Amino acid sequence: MTTRKRAWNNSAFANCTKSDSCAETVVVDNDAETVPSNDLTGEAKIIGNNEKQQTTKTVSKSLKNTPNWIDIFEPSMSDDVAVHPKKLAELQNWLLHCEAVHKQHPAQICLLTGPSGAGKTAAARVLTRSMKYEWQEWINPVDRDFINTLGDQTSSYNGSQLDLFKSFLFRSSRYKSLFGREKRLVIVEDFPNIILSNTDTFENILEEYSKYGKSPLLFIVTDSKTRSLNVSYNLFTEQVKNKYHINHISFNPIAVTLMQKAMKRFCTLMKTPQLADTYCVPSQTIIDSIIIAAQGDVRNAIINLHFASIKGAGTLPIERLESGEVKGKSKKKMSTLKTIRRDESVTMMHALGRVFNPKHLPNGSFIHKPEDITDSFTSEPKRFINLIHANYLPHFKDIEHIVEAGDALSIADNIISEYREDALAVTALNLAVRSIMVANQTPVSAWLPIRAPTRNQQGFGPKSQQMTGISTNLYATDYGSYVHIIQGVKKI
Amino acid sequence: MALWVDKHRPRELSKLDYHKEQAENLRNLCQQGDFPHLMFYGPSGAGKKTRIMCLLRELYGAGVERLRNETMTFTTPSNRKVEVMTVGSNYHLEVNPSDAGIYDRVVVIDLIKQVAQTHQIDAAGQREFKVIVLSEVDELTKDAQHALRRTMEKYVATCRIILSVNSTSRVIPAIRSRCLGIRVAAPNEEEITTVLQLTCKREGLTLPAEFSKRIVEKSEHNLRRALLMLEACKVQQYPFTGQQDIVELDWQVFLRETANQIVTEQTPAKLEKIRDRLYELLAQGVPPDMIFRGLVEELVRNCDMSLKAKTLEYATLYEHRMQNGAKHIFHLEAFVAQFMNIYKKFMSESMMMDDF
Repeated sequence: MTTRKRAWNNSAFANCTKSDSCAETVVVDNDAETVPSNDLTGEAKIIGNNEKQQTTKTVSKSLKNTPNWIDIFEPSMSDDVAVHPKKLAELQNWLLHCEAVHKQHPAQICLLTGPSGAGKTAAARVLTRSMKYEWQEWINPVDRDFINTLGDQTSSYNGSQLDLFKSFLFRSSRYKSLFGREKRLVIVEDFPNIILSNTDTFENILEEYSKYGKSPLLFIVTDSKTRSLNVSYNLFTEQVKNKYHINHISFNPIAVTLMQKAMKRFCTLMKTPQLADTYCVPSQTIIDSIIIAAQGDVRNAIINLHFASIKGAGTLPIERLESGEVKGKSKKKMSTLKTIRRDESVTMMHALGRVFNPKHLPNGSFIHKPEDITDSFTSEPKRFINLIHANYLPHFKDIEHIVEAGDALSIADNIISEYREDALAVTALNLAVRSIMVANQTPVSAWLPIRAPTRNQQGFGPKSQQMTGISTNLYATDYGSYVHIIQGVKKI
Repeated sequence: MALWVDKHRPRELSKLDYHKEQAENLRNLCQQGDFPHLMFYGPSGAGKKTRIMCLLRELYGAGVERLRNETMTFTTPSNRKVEVMTVGSNYHLEVNPSDAGIYDRVVVIDLIKQVAQTHQIDAAGQREFKVIVLSEVDELTKDAQHALRRTMEKYVATCRIILSVNSTSRVIPAIRSRCLGIRVAAPNEEEITTVLQLTCKREGLTLPAEFSKRIVEKSEHNLRRALLMLEACKVQQYPFTGQQDIVELDWQVFLRETANQIVTEQTPAKLEKIRDRLYELLAQGVPPDMIFRGLVEELVRNCDMSLKAKTLEYATLYEHRMQNGAKHIFHLEAFVAQFMNIYKKFMSESMMMDDF
């Protein structure tokens, strides 16, 4: 039994006002990642069982005075969403298509991807609301032993999360709730953990859903840089997408102009009487720097804006950007937030380019500091060093310079072999990056495609398998060529 | 069809061709009830494995020769399956744990546990322990060696371990001190010659003295290699003549060609080609230290006296780093780059001298 057990039920409190809805608090504390639901619109609510309600009731009293401030800025109409209109239309078309084919193929599936803070959930929410869909979202239940009324510790068995997930999908798509609307949209943003490691089960679920599901199903997946964590890459392979006719809509990071528009809306919201006593609108410079710092992540921008504009707080420290590449055209000073800034996301290929063809400032120092490049890849230093090693040679003109680079890579490999200390890996990466940048005094500028590092797979030939009791090394060094001759002739 | 190396391998301690005194000592060791863990060490092709098998026969009788192959599967903590080929009899089990790569630790622990947890069936007529033969223990990771140290102690009541090692320097001291070390030196030239002659006699062939001398030289005191060479030569041409070609190991030929390429051209593009060749050797399964050694030998042969010292200096530096590091190619390549650099400098200097 879990707090989230009957997640698909529509809350009987859905029509209640904010003041006594305990469901609100439940959603807030577990759903920080998504834009939480606005209860006034009567969407599906996730409620706890009775015990949970008792405990949260007291909590909700204190939260009432400070509403979840990220909610305030949630878009209410499709024009307000910061997503590009074309992408929004794409999603809308899918929903329209679902309605059109509802009689024949009710179980349409869609995959919505995009980087974090690209407005995926917000867009979906706005559209479901405007098209009168009921929002039915799966949220992973929290494993928690509950204490029954007598105070005894009872069954800690929570049931399989997978079973819960399956039954959620089918029931919520088939049966409407008593208070709910006719049309339902099933949302999965929070994937049960078991599915992530087990792609087959997921396919089975999709298979069943496409047969028996009665409502459109929308998966919302955040892009991630590392492949192993990338849900859309691992679960939704091309094959799967084709087989179940999954419509893939991919959102991009929010463009600066759209972000500016959104910020303007936030500022006007702040001036409204009910918010004016909490917020005062910050200066344009700060807003501009927030936009730059957010790098297309609207959630990040909202959070920064909140802290920048809340009354009684100091102004955020700002850092001027060195705008080397801006030539005369716009003299406007570019600046970004100093402390709470999103890390610039550099792809691996991009960073490799910066390493192999370093750009210098007039005073001789690097534009892209080796430290910054290192910092971007601290999570996978080994991979980056291997990539450097696989690709550095063609960028050098002179063997003399390679000596230094090769020597440093060899030291870096020694340092990184000491796996017990994480800090050493970063040191090694820094050493490798730095030495390549410094050693390459005359970089070759040509079109040099990046190659993947060679994997050293030992050749287990069929011969070495036959000769049992002889290790592969020994076979390669001593036996190989002779056995070949001896057996080759004897066979004839 | 058995190779000569296997066919004419001595099966009893009393029939060994050389190190006879040591064989006598080993036999005395078996007579006593107190049998320690053993570590046979010596260069490749010296006869370590032969001695181990003879010793096992001395311990258990002819039963150890009824061998069966088995593929054992181990599961790593990360749920990966590792398959290792083992050869064993009722009394012993032989395995090369370094075949499991970085998962050797699991193999070492689980294997010894599996074997040691069961006692001998017929304790009265037999020894009360089984034997596990681990080959190429020096190739094991430090982690696995430490695991081995602990398990050796724990299961000493039911099993003894015989290690076969090329160089004791790569075995951790804790293991070295737990074993009785037995050095198997490489046979000298006369000894190899006698073995070759004896083998030919058993096969009914005649071996000219001149030819056998050349084989001995080529084999680098590696008896296994000498015998394989002889058999390959026999297949290619018989009756033997004094000057007939001796088949060389193809990886050695490949390595020599690589060294020649290094000397002919010193550019980044060439270095990349060399890297590909080194990768190929590594993929074949040639151990990186043998590649390094072969490469240095060939390079030193090709270059001027003044460069030799410098080359060796760099070789020692990078070989040491290679032993500590994880990616062998990094160090091999760094060494080649260093050599190319000094060689190029030397050549341009000597060109200037010529101009004067």
